[in-house]
Amino acid sequence: MIQELFSLEGVSKSFERDSNAIMALAPIDLSVEREEFVALVGPSGCGKSTILNMVAGLLRPSAGRLHYDGRPVNDLNLRVGYMTQRDTLLPWRTVADNIGSPLELSAHRTSKSERGDKIDRMIELVGLKGFEKHYPGELSGGMRRRVALARMLVYDPETLLMDEPFGALDAQLKLVMHDEIQRIVGIGRKTVLFVTHDLAEAIALADRVVVFSGRPGRVKTVRTVDLPRPRDVFRIRFAPRFTELHEELWDHLQDEVNRA
Amino acid sequence: MTYAARDSEESLVVAAGRSPSGEGPLAQFLTSRGGRLFGQFIIVVALLTLWEFGSGAFLPRLWVSSPSAIIAQLYSWFADGSIWVHLIGTVSSAALGYLLGAIAGVATGLLLGLSARVEAIASPFIVALYSLPKVALAPFFVIFLGIGIESKIALVAVTVYFLLLYNTLDGIHDLDRGWASTYRLMGANSREIVRHVMLPGIMPWVFSGLRIAVRYAFTAAVFGELIAGNRGIGYLIEESAGNFKSSGIFAGVLALVVCSVSATQAIARVERTVLHWKT
Repeated sequence: MIQELFSLEGVSKSFERDSNAIMALAPIDLSVEREEFVALVGPSGCGKSTILNMVAGLLRPSAGRLHYDGRPVNDLNLRVGYMTQRDTLLPWRTVADNIGSPLELSAHRTSKSERGDKIDRMIELVGLKGFEKHYPGELSGGMRRRVALARMLVYDPETLLMDEPFGALDAQLKLVMHDEIQRIVGIGRKTVLFVTHDLAEAIALADRVVVFSGRPGRVKTVRTVDLPRPRDVFRIRFAPRFTELHEELWDHLQDEVNRA
Repeated sequence: MTYAARDSEESLVVAAGRSPSGEGPLAQFLTSRGGRLFGQFIIVVALLTLWEFGSGAFLPRLWVSSPSAIIAQLYSWFADGSIWVHLIGTVSSAALGYLLGAIAGVATGLLLGLSARVEAIASPFIVALYSLPKVALAPFFVIFLGIGIESKIALVAVTVYFLLLYNTLDGIHDLDRGWASTYRLMGANSREIVRHVMLPGIMPWVFSGLRIAVRYAFTAAVFGELIAGNRGIGYLIEESAGNFKSSGIFAGVLALVVCSVSATQAIARVERTVLHWKT
């Protein structure tokens, strides 16, 4: 049975600037199932991040209906973990303390020893062993992204919202992280909404890819990725089916990129 | 090293707008740490020599005194112990006022910063009071609290209070909004956001306020002593001036400089420990 976890029905968003309403996102319909991995691809400024902000409850839709698990999202949606585009690590906390910060909150209260174990596991997972005591200011952009990823995963939220999580990583590390995220999502039975510029990344990871047009954002096409799971993220891009999907979606995306 | 390599290196330095450091032994010496200290030492010695031997020759001794007379004055004050009551008076009114003003300033800043609405209402009053030169209030405190230490403490506290209030508010405005929204999404309540995000986040601003406030605290304390009082370094300076004893004025000023610089250094040291993540 198909089980819908959250849905946008005719949801649009406009911002006020100099008393002019600027449409950031044209009315969109999107329904995401439980344990589905949906990637949003499109040119900059097409409102992809706006969608994540609305699902997280940080922004209200200007029109339309946004439901999460059958209920309208009127307040912060605490069932999502959100890895924003700009990392929000606390500069005065070490890598380990940043990762462990959700576990210090009463909402996820964890004993000190258990917290330590979880942090260690996360640090290992994102490959930051030896950097536990470093401060964010001492890390590269890619390492900071991995700390942010670990901080989101450590308290095990039901849905993961990720805004270009691997944009700053080099090609090899990106693949390693793809492998990890696929594993984590599979084991944890997570639902994922994933924003990226990288079409190959979207196809390699997602069950469905949504291609957006430029500002104001509109859904241009939605494609189900019928590649079998589990996927070998290191080799999948050489599979003929991957190439076909990539070419098909690239045709849609190219028009938008050229126009932008 | 080949000459060609040396050449290109130097031209790079020149292109960067600095003089080539490797040109002569003297220049090289003066850019080293020891050399710089030596240079500064030479400057101090030269000025003191000029002061000492110029005094009475081409500088009127009555006005400028002389380094030896100032040292002698300080020595006699310490020898008969007469300076202690003044030193303790100034330092204790500066320190107590500083402590009161700083705590109240940060606390008020936090309270106002928690609510944008309350801050909007309070804002014009704070701006007006912050812009007011607080020393103008000194006569009021004297009438109200007398010529004892209380009026000095009050003057210092008011001065420091507004500095810290302003810096705390600036710090709150400067907080990355992403921090709080991230914490909220992780399930943090308001108290946890204050404790985990706001308080540590404003520390750089609070400490820069605390550092600056030291010299304002001494300024306010001394001003209070200058206009009314019977003890304190400010009183000592005033009394020396009344007796045309310029050595006493300079000796008092020197004592103040030492106090203010050491207090500032102490704060800066605590700041470096607390904000060690900044470097």
